[in-house]
Amino acid sequence: MFDWTDEQKMLRDAVRQFIEKELVPIHEELEHGDTPPYDLLRKLFATFGMDAMARDGFKKRIEAEKAAAEAKARGEEPPAKKEREGGMDPSFTMIPIIELCRYSPGIVTAMGVSMGLTAAAISSRGTIAQKERWVPELLTMEKVGAWAITEPNSGSDAFGSMKSTARRDGDEYVLNGSKTFITNGPYADTIVFICKLDEGNPPAERKILSFVLDRGMPGLEQSKPLRKMGMHSSPTGELFLSDVRVGRDRLIGETEDVPSGGREGAKDTFSMERSGVAAMALGIISQCLELSVEYAKNRVQFGQPIGEFQLIQEKLAKMEVHRLNVQNLVFRYIEMGQAGVGLTLAEASAMKLYSARAAMEVALEAVQLFGGNGYMSEFKVEQLCRDAKVLQIYAGTDEIQITHIAKDLLRR
Amino acid sequence: MNIVVCVKQIPDPAEPGALDPNTKTLKRDGKLILDESDSYGVEMALQLADAAGGGEVTLVSMAPNSETSGLRTALAMGAAKSVLVSDPALSGTDALGTAKILAAAIKRVEGADLILTATESSDGYTGTVPEQIAELLGLPSITFAKSIAIDGGTVKVQRQTEAGYDECEAPLPAVVSVTAGVVEPRYPSFKGIMAAKSKPVDEVDCAALGIDPGSVGWAGGGQEIVTVEAAPAREAGEVVEDDGTGFEKIVAFLDNLKVI
Ligand SMILES: Cc1cc2nc3c(=O)[nH]c(=O)nc-3n(C[C@H](O)[C@H](O)[C@H](O)COP(=O)(O)OP(=O)(O)OC[C@H]3O[C@@H](n4cnc5c(N)ncnc54)[C@H](O)[C@@H]3O)c2cc1C
Repeated sequence: MFDWTDEQKMLRDAVRQFIEKELVPIHEELEHGDTPPYDLLRKLFATFGMDAMARDGFKKRIEAEKAAAEAKARGEEPPAKKEREGGMDPSFTMIPIIELCRYSPGIVTAMGVSMGLTAAAISSRGTIAQKERWVPELLTMEKVGAWAITEPNSGSDAFGSMKSTARRDGDEYVLNGSKTFITNGPYADTIVFICKLDEGNPPAERKILSFVLDRGMPGLEQSKPLRKMGMHSSPTGELFLSDVRVGRDRLIGETEDVPSGGREGAKDTFSMERSGVAAMALGIISQCLELSVEYAKNRVQFGQPIGEFQLIQEKLAKMEVHRLNVQNLVFRYIEMGQAGVGLTLAEASAMKLYSARAAMEVALEAVQLFGGNGYMSEFKVEQLCRDAKVLQIYAGTDEIQITHIAKDLLRR
Repeated sequence: MNIVVCVKQIPDPAEPGALDPNTKTLKRDGKLILDESDSYGVEMALQLADAAGGGEVTLVSMAPNSETSGLRTALAMGAAKSVLVSDPALSGTDALGTAKILAAAIKRVEGADLILTATESSDGYTGTVPEQIAELLGLPSITFAKSIAIDGGTVKVQRQTEAGYDECEAPLPAVVSVTAGVVEPRYPSFKGIMAAKSKPVDEVDCAALGIDPGSVGWAGGGQEIVTVEAAPAREAGEVVEDDGTGFEKIVAFLDNLKVI
């Protein structure tokens, strides 16, 4: 794949039109007015039938799972997993991400955490009943989801220093702890809360369990949005749990016997979000580059357009190199998806590391190229620059990506 | 309720257009897109079919080089199928020739209850094709529809006028031209985009339509483009200092134009 197909271009143009008509007029409000992005996302989903598609896809998957479970109960071989029927083309998620990120990477963050991370956490380990109860409305954005692992004292070392706990109490569990930097935390309807099972054993040996919580449960407090550097269109908050009582029906998988103590489940989720970050980076880079080229042609200093200066040309050239590389990573990911091949953890981490750094570098250079205007919000690159920074921090910091790539290489 | 919508595929107005120096017509060899003014007819047709509780929307288009890009957009919006007339002999076809071709193509669509068109294309602007089609098909025609309703075997149209609108009716089948901007064309859904690729496009040439190539194209056209000139730059106006008699100069100026 070296270019988008006609079909993908049709999709891109349609989404672009929608964004120009629906997002751009309320962009200021989303960035600076604490207007949450969910209604816009719901409109996007309804307009393009993404909600109906998600519901249909979910129904098919759950029916296949039920058939397999029933066969197993009868002692028969479960029916062979159907070959991917052409499957869902990853470009159908990548293209909206790229296009939205030209204006508002925050909206993508809110969307990705809700329908991506949160839904995936329940889908990958939950029971059939749990999936039916929570997943469809997350996939359609009818419900807002949050996925909570980070705590004030545990970030990169998410499991090692995790303090949140679940204690057994009869048939129930009692949950305690606080989480921070939680995307959608302030507005979430459905929250995946990750904690350690406290059986009086040393913290390092405790099992990692995940529970699904609903907004408004007694003992659950969701903070207001935190003030932050960028991604203002993505509400980020804290969660406080004091003696939240839940039944086993809210324990994901309804079992404490999770493989490798529960530490692997969350890691699957990590590698999923890393590829999405590359698409986000591509949107930021493409927009910064387009704006920069225009500006370099039109801004005149010393009697000529600044694009005539070699120092400005170097900036544009470097931006184009990054754009091509990140686009190629995205194209590769799409082709792999179409072929039903997944990324290794090292590949996903490498993709995220490179794309995040590229987006940051391009956005910073765009601000520089715009001079004083670059520092003013009217010219848009300053927002993309503030937003880009977090790509190097969330979904695993750059340093953690490097560690994962190297570990994977050295393990071979 | 089966509806035919005539749609034109035109060079993207966002790209700088160019004239072919030999034929002095717009170059159409690149990728063509759905004329925006036709997207209203497509939307109207889809809404009418929905309201009728079923039926198909079929597109009819004439375009060079077997072009389907614009058709795919309308198919992605929800049209079921399409007839495409493409034939090198059609190069240079004028408005009447276009109407002959489209009328013949519409006849290939079985059971059409209603034929919708735009009022005019965004690259040609003759605005005559809809009535010519109606005449050739021997069907009643209503122009400038701002709203359309079907009532049994009758189409009821609010026909836009300068002062407001007229209420008109015609028995079906009929040809109705739709004013731009009267409905909000839907975005193609993702599913629609995926499905559009495999929707049928019945491509035909003049022979298949039983049309003599000599009666269309440059040969059949009643027109010849002799020369194309750049529009003259607007001349600077006359500046009159008002020394108290300015009004007399205005009166004299208007009198000279014979407007008073
Ligand atoms: C906008 C935003 C949204 C977020 N959304 C969510 C969410 O929805 N859910 C959620 O659970 N979390 C979320 N997070 C949290 C995010 O995942 C963490 O911030 C991130 O994992 C880093 O953890 P930390 O902030 O504790 O930094 P720390 O882990 O304290 O890191 C501090 C510095 O030390 C470095 N460092 C740490 N360990 C090592 C090491 N072993 N080797 C080398 N360097 C190291 C880091 O790279 C970093 O530079 C979000 C964060 C932000 C900013």
